[in-house]
Amino acid sequence: MSKLVLKFENSVLREVPVGASEVSIGRSPENGLVIDNPAVSHYHARVFHEEGRLMLEDFGSLNGTFVNGQRVKMVMLKPGDSVMVGKHTIVVTESSEPGLMTWDGPARAAAPKINETVMLDTKARRDFLQQVAAGGESSQIAPARLKVATLLVRSGKTDRKEYALSDKLTVVGKSGMATVKLKGWFAPKAAVQINRREDNDYYVGAADKVPCVNGAPIAHPTKLASGDVISVAGIELEFVYRD
Amino acid sequence: MTIEMEFGARSDVGCVRENNEDSFRLAPELNLFVLSDGMGGLASGEVASRLSVETVVKHCGDAAADPALPIEGQAIGGVSQASNRLASAIRLANRTVHDAAKRNGNDGRMGATLAAVRVEGERLSIAHVGDSRIYRLRGGDFEQLTRDHSFVAEQMLRGRMTPEEASASALQSVLIRAIGIEAEVDVDVNEELLRDGDTLLLCSDGLTRELSDEQISAVLGEARDAQAAAESLVDLAKKAGGGDNITVIVLRGAPKTAGTLALIKRWFRR
Repeated sequence: MSKLVLKFENSVLREVPVGASEVSIGRSPENGLVIDNPAVSHYHARVFHEEGRLMLEDFGSLNGTFVNGQRVKMVMLKPGDSVMVGKHTIVVTESSEPGLMTWDGPARAAAPKINETVMLDTKARRDFLQQVAAGGESSQIAPARLKVATLLVRSGKTDRKEYALSDKLTVVGKSGMATVKLKGWFAPKAAVQINRREDNDYYVGAADKVPCVNGAPIAHPTKLASGDVISVAGIELEFVYRD
Repeated sequence: MTIEMEFGARSDVGCVRENNEDSFRLAPELNLFVLSDGMGGLASGEVASRLSVETVVKHCGDAAADPALPIEGQAIGGVSQASNRLASAIRLANRTVHDAAKRNGNDGRMGATLAAVRVEGERLSIAHVGDSRIYRLRGGDFEQLTRDHSFVAEQMLRGRMTPEEASASALQSVLIRAIGIEAEVDVDVNEELLRDGDTLLLCSDGLTRELSDEQISAVLGEARDAQAAAESLVDLAKKAGGGDNITVIVLRGAPKTAGTLALIKRWFRR
């Protein structure tokens, strides 16, 4: 429940609640909040609720209405705002209710809510993740695959003919890090890399060389499907899922 | 073989916010680079991100001195010990922030994102929680190496939202995974190969909200060095609006030998 606290030079004169109907402010006795002072117009301004917001409207008064030091015509009020009418101050306050925020100090220009990073609250998050899991794929924990990703060497000189991919990073090349070891003087240290990413998908990416997948060179790391053929540095590897 | 890394970083409050709730640490003695974006206001975001970053660095430092230090949570298969240690550090950061939040009151919630890169020879450990990102520029290819733990990213993945809709969405800041919110968190860990000439970028979303991939990769490709790149990126993001805190860490696998031809080419490019 919003309240208007009328003050004159730090003394509280009166408190007026703002209910469903508006509170009009002015010198005339018909107003909800009467301020008997020559600097205040007979019908000076009003405070009202609109779509859940507390609004202030100046009725074109002679001396104007100021909110936090700025002259206004129509503006939204927040708890803590200070409204100047003539020489009087009206402070907008909020009585404590669950769900309402309390503000200390002068109201600051808050960044729009949508730009604050927030967390989907626990129940909503769990419901969402359950929905996602029910949709066939889990977003957090990849389902254990019964099939093993394997590279079959179709041509070229390597240390083995077949490689089961178990690591998140597999290197094809001559370096100590390579799983698929290339032979030959001119073999690159790391021709290509194969990454196992989220959802247990495998991607082939260029390292020292740009590979072709099914005959076409790739522009960026490319997801592999069973049966795809990678050719690079004089070798051909077929990517398959084996049971 | 070790690739020489040069690095640079910059963090800025931006043009709209009052506090900078991003934190970062460069720990080159551990080959570790960490960034965190604190959530929410009331300065708890700042506490959460600072605590996250410091916990990760401390745990990796302690483990370097004592490799037998227990791992927090479950070790992951198919990755190196360094990667597992990094994941362990991030899980510990989660537990630390979660416990600190409970002690502080503040309705008991404090959260942050985290993105970290650890270099071991030619192997990169890449780990993250939340929507701070890690990118790599290799040749002309600018690739996002992390998948955002955000509501809109999930929607895009399921084909329920296009990238255009996502960037216009009012829900784009909503995370589905963060540091400190729950007692345990699932950390995404990947490994990448490091090559000469690779440029890595860790950034909070304050950068990617303002600049496109094209703008970012252009700066990374043209900058004189990693520090110059970091500063240019922040300046450009501020010019574009700077609606959030902006933090960037740039790592470059420096070319082994700047031969005469390379020096001449660089001179002409100025």
